[in-house]
Amino acid sequence: MTAADIKAHIDPIRHEYADGRSLVLPALKYAQTEQGWLPPEALAAVAEATGYSQAYVESVASFYDRLYLEPVGKRVVSVCITLSCMLRGSDELIEGMCEHLGVEHSHGAVTTPDGAITIQEAQCLGACDKAPCIQVDAENTIGPLGQSEANALLDELRAADRPRELWR
Amino acid sequence: MSDALPTKPTMVTISINGKEVQAKPGTILVEAAAQAGIEIPIFCYEPRLGPPIGACRMCLVEVEGMRGLQTACSTPVAPDMVVHTNNEAAATAQDGVLELLLANHPLDCPVCDKGGECPLQDRTFKFGPGETRFVEPKRHFPKPLDLSTEVAIDRERCIACFRCIRFSQDVSEDGQLGFQERGAGTEVATFSGEPYESRFSGNIIDLCPVGALTSIPYRFVSRPWDVQNAPSVCGLCPVGCNTELTMREGETKRTTGRPNPNMTVEEGWLCDKGRWGYPAAWSADRILRPLVRDANGTMVETSLEAAVDAAARLIAASSATQILVGAASTVEDGFLAQELAAVLPNAAASRLGFPDSADLEPLRALPRAELSDIDTAGAVAVVGGDVTNRHPIVELRLRKLVRNRGALAMVGPRTSPLDARATFGARTAPGQLSSGLAVLAAALEGASAPLIIWDEADLANEPAAAAELARIATAAGARQIELAVDVNGRGLRALGLPCQTAPVAAGALVAVNADPLESPGAMAWADAIDGVGAIIAVATHRSAITERADVVLPTLMHHEVEGVLVSTTGRAQRLRPGSRGPREAAAAWELLIALSHRTGTPLPFRTPAQAFAAVAAARPPFAGLSYSVVGDEGAPTTHVAQSSAPQRSTDAVGDGIALVVTTEIFGDAVSWRSDALVSRRTPAHLVLAPQQAATLGLVQDQRARVSSPFGTCILPVVVDAQAPEGAAFVAMGPPASGTSALLAGEQVPVNVMIEVAE
Repeated sequence: MTAADIKAHIDPIRHEYADGRSLVLPALKYAQTEQGWLPPEALAAVAEATGYSQAYVESVASFYDRLYLEPVGKRVVSVCITLSCMLRGSDELIEGMCEHLGVEHSHGAVTTPDGAITIQEAQCLGACDKAPCIQVDAENTIGPLGQSEANALLDELRAADRPRELWR
Repeated sequence: MSDALPTKPTMVTISINGKEVQAKPGTILVEAAAQAGIEIPIFCYEPRLGPPIGACRMCLVEVEGMRGLQTACSTPVAPDMVVHTNNEAAATAQDGVLELLLANHPLDCPVCDKGGECPLQDRTFKFGPGETRFVEPKRHFPKPLDLSTEVAIDRERCIACFRCIRFSQDVSEDGQLGFQERGAGTEVATFSGEPYESRFSGNIIDLCPVGALTSIPYRFVSRPWDVQNAPSVCGLCPVGCNTELTMREGETKRTTGRPNPNMTVEEGWLCDKGRWGYPAAWSADRILRPLVRDANGTMVETSLEAAVDAAARLIAASSATQILVGAASTVEDGFLAQELAAVLPNAAASRLGFPDSADLEPLRALPRAELSDIDTAGAVAVVGGDVTNRHPIVELRLRKLVRNRGALAMVGPRTSPLDARATFGARTAPGQLSSGLAVLAAALEGASAPLIIWDEADLANEPAAAAELARIATAAGARQIELAVDVNGRGLRALGLPCQTAPVAAGALVAVNADPLESPGAMAWADAIDGVGAIIAVATHRSAITERADVVLPTLMHHEVEGVLVSTTGRAQRLRPGSRGPREAAAAWELLIALSHRTGTPLPFRTPAQAFAAVAAARPPFAGLSYSVVGDEGAPTTHVAQSSAPQRSTDAVGDGIALVVTTEIFGDAVSWRSDALVSRRTPAHLVLAPQQAATLGLVQDQRARVSSPFGTCILPVVVDAQAPEGAAFVAMGPPASGTSALLAGEQVPVNVMIEVAE
């Protein structure tokens, strides 16, 4: 993705942002839709498009959990581990999902060896009524979710085509 | 008086800890308290970095009537404000902030270079808790990484005060440093972990209030209680930044900005050459022992006594003596050379460097400004020169000017990183500065406190442009700053030392920190040098002249001597020794006095201070000055018009394309000799625009033979799309590069022929 592509995306929404600095965020999210993560070239393109230094752009990107500076899978599954979900069994849920995917559970993001799915813990997803809940990329939150439903969803995601744009 | 008229209150009265304090409206509480002798602890507050950001929370104080505690670094005084910096609320908060800052701090002070001069240590003792309640494991990062080849970063020690990042983003504007991650994982880093590359990178070490950023050349070298610090001046370029030399066991171990920066000159910032140039003192080509040529023509090491005697005998036996003083020599050295020439029969003293020019008199006669005046100017025009490479700290001032919304105009043939920041820039063809001046008048017109900054060499070679610029500046009411060519060219000129542009014919030559064989006009000197009767070289490092000399007297570098240098703006500033120098070496002033005694014509001076007092009495530009008047901060010299300055020939000599020379910041002798700057040094090279290179049949990295009417040298080619067409831009490189062969001693404009070198 080139700086020109990013500029074409942010120029129409520029008026919504009082301070140019806050425009870095939508630029980063858009730059990430191509590969699902932000390689240094993508950060450099955002820097060029927004006029801020590369170091500043990387600084913003590294602050947010949903902006990835390392390669991640085709789909990213976030499992809520905050209070409501935890009380409703999210610890066991994510453990089971990891087992189903054949990966070691960690507090950070883990990607399956085939690069299909990244699973990560998330702080409150704002859907306590659906606890325990998960979110696939930036799509709607799904829940409450039993282990078998969750595993079925993972199989479904693995089989599905890669979305054209990876909004996360 | 007008006591009936209502006047705006010029001072507000506030109370700090029950003490009544007067402060100007708008003063920040931290400053108001400091003026009253009350310390409010700070870490992130640093006015030189721009507006306060309140990042570290160390300066919390209670202001009566305001909810919660306030950060004293970002709260301005208001009338009748009642402030408590040490009551229970404030003290508890300060205690708490320090406890949190220390929660993840490794407390490895015994092995930390900052230990003993660490604001975190000092403030913890003064304001902090005696012990920590934090029993959990601290965060860990791999121990120090190289942020660059000179700066190490220890992320465990970082307290996230933002100072280094603000310097990188807002002062040097290199934009390379940023915080990554968040919370306890926050770390200072460069984009993708690339090395931090900045001409000013060392300043972040001075700024760091903890031991997170340390100097690699100074790593584990010494402790604050083992050293003596000397306030001195950098002698590597004409800007004259005020420095502090750290001496241990008789050697300079470190150069830093002063703890109390000279806000008129360098504002506490140093370029990396000034900071890490001192190891040139230990380079392999440093002359450590006096040498005398014996009957067989071989140079034999001897004692300083014997060498001075030999030199005096050579002088006494010669029909005439020429004392040639180098362009970076101190005022005292220049003066003592004049005095020695006055007492020796048939002797004269002259300086090596950029020649005098009567054409610059109209510019020099304009009111003089200091570098700090750039900050408050409404518009600044920079005409010619190459501040980035030759007057580095001026670049930081110009960047600040643009941040302060002042207009910056850049006129001249060379490209500059400042071009992108300039309000308007005119890239002129070499020798045609006049074509850029028309627009310049519009930029200065109507601006408040306008300034012109002009390059001595470029304007001396274009008298018409100099006259026009002086007229424009006068019309706009602008003050001026000269960008001098030579380190102490101004001081030596003020002494009345004539510039030596042609070789000496016969007799004895005493070269004091001067090598005419490696300076402009080198080829003419090479032809004439065999006709010189005896050569006495007073030098710090081996060079062409010391190879030819009959006597070599080792002398001291700027950080090893006492003396006065006159800066590019005309400030006389004192050098103080931060090192004893080699055992068998002596200061040039001392050697000149010794020579006067051995030749039977003793001069009445025993110390540089006495010599400087005599300078003040005998040379009008220095009238009223003495070591104590010059003090730590320097004092301005007076400009006295030089009626005797010769007219220069300014028509370009030779066929081919115009030669435009510069010396890159890390491309001079000191950078090549200092082992701290190994990774930074740049060699001599030829820069050509793409079209120009194609016409000449040259590609990147190919070797080109460059010939002027005065000499020839072979240089690697750099093709630069930014460079203007139609000119040969030569970076001079260290003295041995041979580039000085291209120039005449008068340093007149030169055209060069370029061809592919076999």
